This record gives sequence, C-alpha cells and structure tokens, in this order.
Amino acid sequence: MFKNPNKAGSAFRGVAFLAAALCSSTAIAQDALEVWSRSGPQAAETYKAVFAAFTEKTGIPVEYLATVEFETQLQARAAAKDLPDVLIYDQASMAAYANAGMILPVVPEDFAGHDQLSEASWDSVRMADGAYYGVPFSQHAQVTFIRSDWREKLGFEVPTTHDELVALATAFATQDPDGNGTDADTYGMAVPGTTDRGFFTWWLSSYMMQRGGSFVTGGEGKYTVTVNSPESVAAVEWIQSLFCGTPSLVQPGALTNASATPFFAENHAGIYQTGPYAFANFDKAPGKDKYEIVIAPAGPGGKTTLTERTSIYFGATSTQPDNQKALAEFLISPEAQALGMTAPGQPVVRLPVNTTLNAAEIYGDERWAVVAEQLEDSKLMPSDVDFTTARLDIAETFQSMFSQCTSDIQGNLDGLAGRISDELSMQNALQ
Amino acid sequence: MTEQAGEAMTPLIDNAASRPPAGTLRRRARPQSRWWTVWLFLLPALLLFLYFKFIPMFAGIQMSFQKVRPFLGNEWVGWSNYTAVLNDSRFHDAIVHTLILGFGQSIGAVIGGLVLALLLEGASKTLWFVRTAAFLPVVTATAVIGEVWRIIYFPAPNGFLNSVLGTVGLDPVRWLEDPAVALYSVMAVGIWQGAPYNMVIFLAGLAGVDRSLYEASAIDGAKLRHRLWYVTLPALRPAMTIVLVLAAVRSLRVFTDVWVLTGGGPAGATDVWMTRIYSLGFERNQMGIASAASILLLIASVALTALALLITRKRAEK
Repeated sequence: MFKNPNKAGSAFRGVAFLAAALCSSTAIAQDALEVWSRSGPQAAETYKAVFAAFTEKTGIPVEYLATVEFETQLQARAAAKDLPDVLIYDQASMAAYANAGMILPVVPEDFAGHDQLSEASWDSVRMADGAYYGVPFSQHAQVTFIRSDWREKLGFEVPTTHDELVALATAFATQDPDGNGTDADTYGMAVPGTTDRGFFTWWLSSYMMQRGGSFVTGGEGKYTVTVNSPESVAAVEWIQSLFCGTPSLVQPGALTNASATPFFAENHAGIYQTGPYAFANFDKAPGKDKYEIVIAPAGPGGKTTLTERTSIYFGATSTQPDNQKALAEFLISPEAQALGMTAPGQPVVRLPVNTTLNAAEIYGDERWAVVAEQLEDSKLMPSDVDFTTARLDIAETFQSMFSQCTSDIQGNLDGLAGRISDELSMQNALQ
Repeated sequence: MTEQAGEAMTPLIDNAASRPPAGTLRRRARPQSRWWTVWLFLLPALLLFLYFKFIPMFAGIQMSFQKVRPFLGNEWVGWSNYTAVLNDSRFHDAIVHTLILGFGQSIGAVIGGLVLALLLEGASKTLWFVRTAAFLPVVTATAVIGEVWRIIYFPAPNGFLNSVLGTVGLDPVRWLEDPAVALYSVMAVGIWQGAPYNMVIFLAGLAGVDRSLYEASAIDGAKLRHRLWYVTLPALRPAMTIVLVLAAVRSLRVFTDVWVLTGGGPAGATDVWMTRIYSLGFERNQMGIASAASILLLIASVALTALALLITRKRAEK
C-alpha cells in the first residue's frame, strides 16, 4: 500500500492513462484502404505481395489484415458500424453478408476488364434478387488426391469409376501399402467429417453429385429440396457404406477429427478429395513425387465435384468507393491474378477468373491443368441464398447417420429435408 | 482477485465501525487510511470488472430479447428466443447430457480424489513427488489434455487404449466415435482431470483428522473399512461439502473438455448446454437465442449455488 496519498493518486493517473491508451489503439489511419481476408500466414504473404503491387501502381495504401477468425472479428466490426473497406472471402458467405446489409451491390459493367471474366464467374456473385454483390477473384474445383507410390506398389491403375475407387481404397486399407508390416495402420480415404462450419457438407456434395443425388436443386434464388429423393437416398447409402462397411474405408475418427489433412500427409490414408490449396502442404509431406491429382472417378451420376470460389466484397460503411473499385479492378487484372498464383507463400488465386490466363502455364505445373479440367465439370453450392444453416444441418445429420451406421437413411433424410425446407422458406427461397 | 481484495478490505471496514481491533488488525489499519483509499485500490479491478463482466452481462440480457443483427440494428422480439430454446429438442438432449456428465464427473472425481488422497497421505519425500505428479492434470491446459486423450482414444485397433484392451482379448472400442460411448469417454477424461483437485482438498481435510481416533478405533478392533466409514469420512464432511458444491456449479458450464474432444459430436451425443450455445451463437449466428440460453444457464447456476449454500448452512447449523 502507498503511505502517501499522492502516490496513490499517481497510480490512479497511471491506470487512467493505460485505459485511455487501450481505447485509442482502436483508431486507425483513415486514408489507407482496409482489406481483410480469411487466410493463414502463408497465404497472407501472397496477399501482401499483391497489395504491394497495387499500392505501387495506384499509390493507394492498403492496410491488410489476414485472420482465420474472420467471421467473429467481422461481427465485432459490424456491431461498431465500421466495416473493412474490402473483404476477400469464400463465396459461400456472400448471401449472409448481403442479407445483413454489410456488403454493397456492384454493377459488373462498371469494372474495367469485367469482360475478361467468364459468365459463370459473374453468375456466381449474383444474389436471388438479381443484383451482384461481389467481384469474382479465384476459383477451383475439388480434385482427387491419390498416393501414386502406394497405388503402383499394389499394382492398381488410376481409378476412373467408383468401383475402382472402392477397390483401391480397400487395397490401401488391407494390403499394407506402406510396406511396414502392419495392415492396420493405413486407411483408404481421408475424410474431413467435422461439422465445424458445416465442413463435412463440402466433401459430401461431390460424392452426392457423382452418385446422382443432391441436397437441393434449382437456381436463381429458388430451390427444391431433393436430399430425400430416391436418387439421393441411394447416394447416401453408398457413401455410408464407405464409413460402415467392413473394412471401413475412411480413417478412424473421421467424424470427429478437426482435419483429415494429417492422415494423408503422414502416410496413413491414400485417397483424399479436397481443393488444390493442399498442394503446398502435400508437396512437403508425403512429397510431390508420392501423390497424383486425378479427375474424380465417375459414379452413376458422373464425375462432378464441388466448385469453390473466393470473391471480393465491398464493405458497406466504406468512404472510399473509388479506391474499392480500383482494388477490385486490379485484382481481376491478368497482372494481379498471376501474382496471386505465383508470389511466394501459397496461391491465393487457385485458378484465375481472368479468362485470358492459362493456369498450368503460369504455374509451370501440369497438375493445375487437371484442376482446370475438373472445374469444367464442377458445381457451386447455392450461394445466392443464405445456405449456412442448411449446410450445418446437412453436416450434422450425415455425421449422425454415419456414426450410428443407421438403417433408417430415408427417415433421417426426410427429417433433414423438412429442416432445409423450413430454412429456405424463411428466406422465401423455396420453389 | 476480488477475494484477495475483499480480505484486505475487511479489517479496514471493521476498524471504521470502531470494533475493538485485535493486535494484527491494528498493525494493518493505519490511521491515515480513509474510506476512499479502499475504493481507490479497488477501482482498477472494479473498472475491469465493469467493462469486461457486468456490461457484457447486461448486454447479454438485452440481446436475449432481441433478434441480433449487428449491422442493421437489433430487433425486439420479446420472449420468443426463450420459447425457441425451451421448445428445442436438441436443447433438451443437451441438458440431459449436461446433467449426466455433471453428475458422473462430480461423483467420479470425488471418489477418485478420495482414493488418491487416502493413498497419498503422508509426509515422506516420495509421496510428495507422487502427489505432484498426480496433480499435473489440473494445471495442464485443457486443450492439451484433449489432444492427448484423442491420441489415447484413437479408435483404430492399434490405438493406445484399444491395444491395451487387445492384450486382454477385448474388441476395440470407438471411444469418441460411437454415440453410445462418447459421453462416457468424455466423462472419464473429466474425472481424470478433476480428481487430483479434489485430492488436494481432501488431503487438507485428512491432515486435520485426530490420529488418536484411529488408534482408539484400532484398539476397539475396528477393521480398515470401519475406520474409513466411522472415522475418516465423518471427519472429511466439511471438505466433502466444498468439493461437491464446487463440482455441481462447475459441471453446468462444462465446455472446453467436450469441445476439444468431440465438438459436441458424434450425432450430438456429447452436446452439452455450452456447446449448444456456442454452436447457435457462433456457427449459426443466432446470437439472440444463444443469449437466451446463456441467461437460462446463469439462472440455473445461481439457483444451484443458492441451493448448495442453503444445504451447507443448514448442515453447519446442526
């Protein structure tokens, strides 16, 4: 304790000063364009290079924040009515942000170079009401990763059908492909079965489409729930057999693992369907020469996989509309698109939305030609309506079915269909 | 923080009320101290509490009556968030899971703590070392514990625990994957983590047991179990009360263990009150309903604490 009240007073002033310092630290320079992306440290390096090129070209400074806690931080800024000027984020969140009034509509024709983007790209950022709420930035399709060294060792060809895929996965699970003398430590497929952010739904959607099933069908803001149709039920039965058959073809703990990536990287699983952003990790382990990228083996419904997109959105509170537009125009230009693919770090433009570019040439890597080919046969999940709740419901219901190896798939899917219908009809998006 | 501040404050207030101060009190309460000095020292803590606890709490109460839209502005919806929570079957399941988990973990940790305390009571150096080792789970970050146990629980036949089962010829168990087993796997981790904490409280209680009672009962021919039942346990009653009250209150807000082990899955089999709130608030962006559920949790916690205090006080009066 202070003997002298003056000392106590100075301590109090110290606290007051500290409090004032804490409060003022939230103030930021107003002239820089504030840009956010949901990125880890590697991708952030690439974005920084892109923005540096932008600043050099236009003289507009960029204040960049890369965060993996994107949504939580954005909610806080939304509550403060002070949104970042530009957001670069997954296409799947566009509808939610647009409905919340957080991002501004745009007119494609206003952007220099808009005609270098494909119609499909512009269609993806159109909301149910016909207005555009984003500028496309990056696109890719999920592809199938296979441990080529394991496959060759066991004498299998590259699978082109689901039957061959299952045969290969079974061999990986039972024939000791890593040759360490233990059958039980390798598994067929790595599956990201976590319900976190509805992640499981992304993985599922490709196999659903390949089996001829679907979650919903439609477009232009009106959808019909088809997750409990006979085709979908048959598709789910097949997917469940991957989890519940003997031997199980997925890694143990698939439904509660936070990530399936380590199983492929650490020589435990031989087949993994995911996006090409995984190249960076898998080139280090298991190693670039040990795996291959193939077009999805075809099921009865074809070889369609999921399209994933990243788009550019304009924060609604921004006072710099010209700079927002300038950045978006730069980001879709051939120069920035190429930089986003090749700058040190991790490709943030996976496949360019700018149609004048050839990804495989820019990367100098033929694997990107496979991704580009798969993109031609891939499909986006609905993003013109807010599909977040439906996505979580799908992930949870499928996790529930597969963890119990339920015999009542139809009943579970009927229940799920009801919940998705309720959700869509609340948004007036039910056909 | 408050508890310490509170302790420091009491003598000063006693002095102000001009009670005859004991010798130790006189030394602490200096003549120049005034009533506001106390508050001045409390002020930093109070400000932090106001800003980080009380204001958010009232905002939470407010949000529980609103449809929360951070950007467009909130909409008043009355009690509908509360009806949504109370009519949600998944919340009912979550409450049942919370109660099973809370009850199982509390009882398990009390029994485990008691057994540990009885085994490890004494003053020798080796025991000191073993006690420290046994206490480690309490001071380890729950996220780390979760990852370690996920490895132990790895569901393949060559997983750690399953290979132990395999040596005695039992089939592998999908510890965290099987909806029928997952809740009990989580419970076991909670007991493993909670028992050493109780052990420390029981050890303190055991130190206060009069040795002559053991000797007297031994002379009277009491066997070990009799001594435990008629001497040790009655002497531990105050410690037991503390442990049970703490466990009951803590069990309602169980979150971290469940979240890092299963995230509420599989099939919602380990979904508890807090994981449900988290999922509604941060995954589905239904902050209003999540707030209503949080307020209900607050009310339940306060009620449970009050009940526990009431029982404790009644016991003490006897």
